[in-house]
Amino acid sequence: MSRKRQVFVAGALALAFLLQLAVMPQFKLLGVQPDLLLVVAVVVAIQDGPIQGAVAGFCGGMLQDLVSPLVMGMGALTKTVTAYLAGSLKGFFVTYSILLPVILVFLAGVADPVMHQVMLIILGQEKLPPFQVNVILASAIYDVLAVLVVYPLMGRFSFPGQGDSLALLRSGGE
Amino acid sequence: MVLILIIIVCIVVVTLYVRESDQGPLHKTQDIFLDLVSPISSGFAKILRPIKDGFINLFHLPSLSRENAELRREVADLKRKQIGAKELEAEVADLKELLNWSEKNPEMKNVGADIIGQSPDNWQRLMIVNAGSSSGVKKYMSVVTREGFLVGRIISVGSRSSVVQLITDSRSAVGARDQRSRETGVVEGRNRSTIRFVPMTDEADMKVGDVIETSGLGGTCPPDIPIGTICEIEKREKGLTLLVEVEPFVEFSKLDKVLVIITPEPESVILKEAQ
Repeated sequence: MSRKRQVFVAGALALAFLLQLAVMPQFKLLGVQPDLLLVVAVVVAIQDGPIQGAVAGFCGGMLQDLVSPLVMGMGALTKTVTAYLAGSLKGFFVTYSILLPVILVFLAGVADPVMHQVMLIILGQEKLPPFQVNVILASAIYDVLAVLVVYPLMGRFSFPGQGDSLALLRSGGE
Repeated sequence: MVLILIIIVCIVVVTLYVRESDQGPLHKTQDIFLDLVSPISSGFAKILRPIKDGFINLFHLPSLSRENAELRREVADLKRKQIGAKELEAEVADLKELLNWSEKNPEMKNVGADIIGQSPDNWQRLMIVNAGSSSGVKKYMSVVTREGFLVGRIISVGSRSSVVQLITDSRSAVGARDQRSRETGVVEGRNRSTIRFVPMTDEADMKVGDVIETSGLGGTCPPDIPIGTICEIEKREKGLTLLVEVEPFVEFSKLDKVLVIITPEPESVILKEAQ
C-alpha cells in the first residue's frame, strides 16, 4: 500500500467514524444503522489485502470502542478478524465486479455482530444472548447499501505504486 | 505476523479493561474521548434534526389526508365518550400525580441535559447527554424525563457529557414493583421497544394495564419513578414462569431533554452492597 493510499484510508476511517457517531444514528432505517467502519475495513481488505484490512479493522474498531461504554478492544478484535477473513475469502471469487464487495460485506455484516455478542457472553458482559436475526440481517443489508457507495469511491483513490502492476491493471493503467 | 500482533494487543486491552476498576486508565480514556467527541456529536445533532424532521414529514405526507379523516371520526367518537369521562377522573388524578413527580420531589435535586448523541451501533440502547461530572453527575444516577418517567441510568461520565443506558438496553436491570399490588421484581431491557418485568414470585398478582414503577431496592434508583404499563402477561407452562411485558412511558425516539437525578453517592451504595 502506497503512502498516499495509507493517508487516504486513514482519512476514510476518520470520516466513517464521524458519520457513524453523529450522522447515522439520526437516519436509522427499520431501527438499524450501517456499520460504516466495518464497511471501510472490508473494502480495504478487498482492495489492498487482508492484512491491510485487518489493520483498518483494528483502527476502526478501536475508534468505536473509545466512545462506547462496552469493553474496550472487543470491537477492534472482531473487526480485525472479520476484515482479515473477508480479505482472505476474496481469493475464492473469480470476479472483480461489485458483486464481490456486496457478498463479502453482507457476510462480514452478519459475522461481526455475532462474534461480538458471543465474546461479550463469554466475558460475562451480556446477560442473555440478544441475537435478533432481523436486526443482524437488516444491518447487514444496510451495510451492503453503504458499500455500493464506498467501494467505487475508495477504488478511485487506489494510488498504485510503481511495482503494483496488478493494481495498475485494475485501475485501467498501462 | 501483523495479524497475530494486533490480536494479542486486542486481547491485552480487553483483559486490562475487564480487570481494572471504573477509575482505571482505559475507562478514563473512554471518558476523555466521550468529552472530545460530544461537541461534534452535539453540533451534528443540531444541524441534522431539522433535516431528519423534514424527511419524516415528507415520508408521512401521503398518509396525512387519511389521518385527517381518521381524526375527524375519532373526535366524533370522543364526544360521545365524554359523557362517561367522569369515571376516568380518578385515574386522571393518579396520572397527574405521576406527571408532577418532579414538582412533588423538590428534595431530589436534578440536572437538566440535552440529548446530543445516540448509540453508534445496533446492539446497545444508549444516549449521550451534555451533562457530566462538572454538573455533579455520577455513575449509576437515574435519568428521567421532564414528566418524571424513567429513561435509564448513567453508565459513563465525562467532565461535560455522560452516557445514559436506556431501560430498553439488554444490559439494563432496574428494581421495580407493581404500583397496584406492590409485587416487586426486576425490569430488564431486551434491546426492543418493550421491556420485561421479572417478578420475585410466579404467583405475583399482576394485571394488564398495571403501572410499573421503581422500587428503590438496590439503592441506586429512587423509588416511585413510573416506568411503564403492563401490556402483556404470559404464563409459561414449564416452571410456570410469568413473562410480563411492559410498555415504557417514554417514547425514546422523541426524547430531546432529560433530567439526571442527583442522588448522594450512588456508586458507594453499590460498593457497600457488593461488600
